[in-house]
Amino acid sequence: MNVIAIMIILPLIALLAEIALSKRYSLTIVSISTFIMLAIVSYLLVVGFIHGSILVAQSYAYIIAPSISISLYLNIASLMLLLMASVVLFVASISGNIGAERAKLSSALMLLFQLAATGIFTSGTLIQFFIFWDIGVITAFVMINTLGTASSKKASMTFLIYEIFASAMLLFAILLIYFGTPLHTFNIQAIISGSNSMPVSAQGLIFFFMALAFMVNMPLFPFHSWLPGAYAEASTQGSMALAGILSKFGAFGLLLTFEMLPIASHYSIYVAGLAIVSSIYASIVMLSQTDIKRIIAYAAMVEMGIIALGISAFNVFGTYGALYGMLAQGLTIAFMFLIAGAIVFEFGERDMRLLKGVIANAKASAYSLVVGVLALSGLPLTSGFIADLLIFIGAYKSFSIYGLVPLFAIILMVAYMYYLLNKSVLSSRDRNWNVAYLGVSQKIGYGIFIAFIFVFGILPFVLLNMVH
Amino acid sequence: MAIMHIISLALVFAAALLAVFGIASAMAKSRRFALASGMVLLAFAAILSAYLLGSGANYTMLGIVHIYPFSMLFVLLFSVLMMLIEVLSFASKNFAGMQILIGFAFIALLVVPSATSIIEIFIGLELFSVMVTFMIIIEGKSHTEAAVKFFVLSAASIALFSAALALMLPYNGSMLLAPASASLAAGSAMLLLALVFFIAAMSFDTAMFPFNLWVPDVYEGASANVTATIAGIGKKLSFVALIEVLFVFFASSGSIYSPLLALLSVLTMFYGNFAAMVQKRVRRLFAYSSISQAGYIMIGVAVATQYGVEASIVQIIAHAFMIIGAFALIMWLETINIRSIDDYSGLASRSRFAAVSLTIIMLSMAGIPPLLGFDGKLLLFSSAISANMLILAVLGVVNSFLSIYYYGKLISVMFTQKERRRIPLNIGIAAVVVVVLAVVVVLGIYPEPVIHAASMASSSLFSLASSP
Repeated sequence: MNVIAIMIILPLIALLAEIALSKRYSLTIVSISTFIMLAIVSYLLVVGFIHGSILVAQSYAYIIAPSISISLYLNIASLMLLLMASVVLFVASISGNIGAERAKLSSALMLLFQLAATGIFTSGTLIQFFIFWDIGVITAFVMINTLGTASSKKASMTFLIYEIFASAMLLFAILLIYFGTPLHTFNIQAIISGSNSMPVSAQGLIFFFMALAFMVNMPLFPFHSWLPGAYAEASTQGSMALAGILSKFGAFGLLLTFEMLPIASHYSIYVAGLAIVSSIYASIVMLSQTDIKRIIAYAAMVEMGIIALGISAFNVFGTYGALYGMLAQGLTIAFMFLIAGAIVFEFGERDMRLLKGVIANAKASAYSLVVGVLALSGLPLTSGFIADLLIFIGAYKSFSIYGLVPLFAIILMVAYMYYLLNKSVLSSRDRNWNVAYLGVSQKIGYGIFIAFIFVFGILPFVLLNMVH
Repeated sequence: MAIMHIISLALVFAAALLAVFGIASAMAKSRRFALASGMVLLAFAAILSAYLLGSGANYTMLGIVHIYPFSMLFVLLFSVLMMLIEVLSFASKNFAGMQILIGFAFIALLVVPSATSIIEIFIGLELFSVMVTFMIIIEGKSHTEAAVKFFVLSAASIALFSAALALMLPYNGSMLLAPASASLAAGSAMLLLALVFFIAAMSFDTAMFPFNLWVPDVYEGASANVTATIAGIGKKLSFVALIEVLFVFFASSGSIYSPLLALLSVLTMFYGNFAAMVQKRVRRLFAYSSISQAGYIMIGVAVATQYGVEASIVQIIAHAFMIIGAFALIMWLETINIRSIDDYSGLASRSRFAAVSLTIIMLSMAGIPPLLGFDGKLLLFSSAISANMLILAVLGVVNSFLSIYYYGKLISVMFTQKERRRIPLNIGIAAVVVVVLAVVVVLGIYPEPVIHAASMASSSLFSLASSP
């Protein structure tokens, strides 16, 4: 039996157990399920490291006409994303639900999200990609809607409308590939190998719809208005899953689009332009934010712009830089959302101007926040550094000096975050807050994130030696 | 072959017996006997038709009943749906009276799909609508307005259909369900006129755009089990009649009606979706949503290929189950006076079963994978693309996106947290909903049986048109 099939069936079994058993066990079930996923991915990583490459592919017949098969496919790109997703899911499960509210519902949604993430990053056919995409979107919608803050209803509707629009465009593009070109297949590898037989006009149409769908999901500049609301109003777990994993659906899809459609190299300059505008725009809008979750949301958007730039550079450095960026950004942003959730739990306050004296009252959260901002800025020894290095080498090769413009966005973003940290979290040593104390599980969560951020910063060859 | 004849005789006999037992139970005033006899006979009919469908039998019995995969698939579908309606109607005071009407309606449900002549289709449709009119009347006191509206609509449809028949007969010389003779098929004005009258008649029954003003009023006025009958069975029966006559009798004039039906389909989808967005009452919301679903089904008919009809059949099956499930839940909630969208607020904390199952049904209607509604839409859009009707496919996809707005809004409302007293479970309705959920989820994840059966049915129908 294929390990990937096990990873996909695992959350389904856990979900059944979740429904059948009482509330007391829900945290245990979701932790075990995500831990097993992390263990399997780590095993795959070790195997890949020893052999110097990794490729798992398996196909099962599903629908005969139109011929749709279930095909599981794992290569270095999927492995990096799965690794990020499993770490984020595991930590979100054990420490994301800080107030232990509605444990059963939140655990069930985490399991559904685990299913979506595993499925989408290992999908060998576009239909599977689409199915797991929608499962992820609907799960995220319910996460924001039912577990979020008081104003999450509106944010969740905006999110749903944008994302379903994206999925409708994606579906149309997928159907066009199968029925509108001579390929007649949903299999991604078959499309990549036969891509030259696609007529150019059809390719242009497909590229337009796919890029639109993925840009809405990532999100890039003109399609981002769902982002601040959704990221900020979701529960901590929801924000971690959304910013860490769901936004990578789009980035992964964009990567596949560039691989599948030869015409993409003609249009890559437009995607790169949007990516640059997107990161600059997000860093500027960020300057007027004081809500800690909104600041992190815009930071996520800056980073997604840079990842999109790496993808559109369309060379080895750019592509693997973008993948490494997704790994690094997923871990870092999820980490920051966990800290933000913890701080909101401890202090009951989201406004950075009012959060004085965190350093004195909640040391773990304060120091973790500092580490998070450092990791976000791409400090050497953190995984963000490797990602930024590769992406900007790739961008410089493809777009010369213009490829380096988003560096200003990073500088602006980090400068503002340091400034705010200095003014608020690190400012006062007063102990006059009535602080709710964090459990040990949140601190374990911090530890796991920090460990992984540094491991992939110091030992990038663990993953990158599989690149040929 | 003899055994096949006996089985198909038994099928016809079961339908006749259903009506007889209905009369008997009404005379004995025994509701339990009515339910028991009805369920047993319908189950019997379902098993026989499933057997005949599986064996691929294809012959005409007594010159009036055509046993072939197309008819057997629909007899199977309708007998299963009728069983659900029986369970829903069991709570009503006049159930024994209902049983007579169900019995005669089932004869129509047997006659129309397995018709050998257009006269049979005509009589079957009218028998069904008369029975439904009576159902609306006996299921309560204040439903006269709905009954009158439904009757007027049926009368208009009858008038148009008979006009079409009158034009067909003299030029064709026969009413047999076979391709129109050469004198009629040569693109004559008479054929065109007959076609237009026929499409107009069927547009009333299937609720296409300019002819669907009756739908929301009747759906709101009739009692919920009768509404489920109209929406889940009556409209589907009209689609069966439409498909039979168009693709057999008018087989040679596909190029004439295809653009007309595409236009009707697009207008209907947009009308249904936009009108559903502004509804305040849940019944009207589902009425307009079912109008838009009829528009989707029409996509496959408009495509006018074997694959298109296959897609339409899958969507007919999917929507029949979904709308019966939805109206079952509406019926249950109306007993405790939950009617408008505002009343649905906080439903999840009152009855998790109702909220979760309505959510799944609505997601399936919106075409979210991996539910049955998605499989239907996937086939519909792909049939449009493969017939080079790109615009139709795009507008279908756009509509599928539009519909998420009102479904999402209702889901969002239902999962608002409010602590109120819980709603006791109604066993009969819960059973119906569980069956619907099983169909929607299980066949959604593994749609191969449905798609295979639909493809058999559609190819057997098209072979009627090609054989002399």
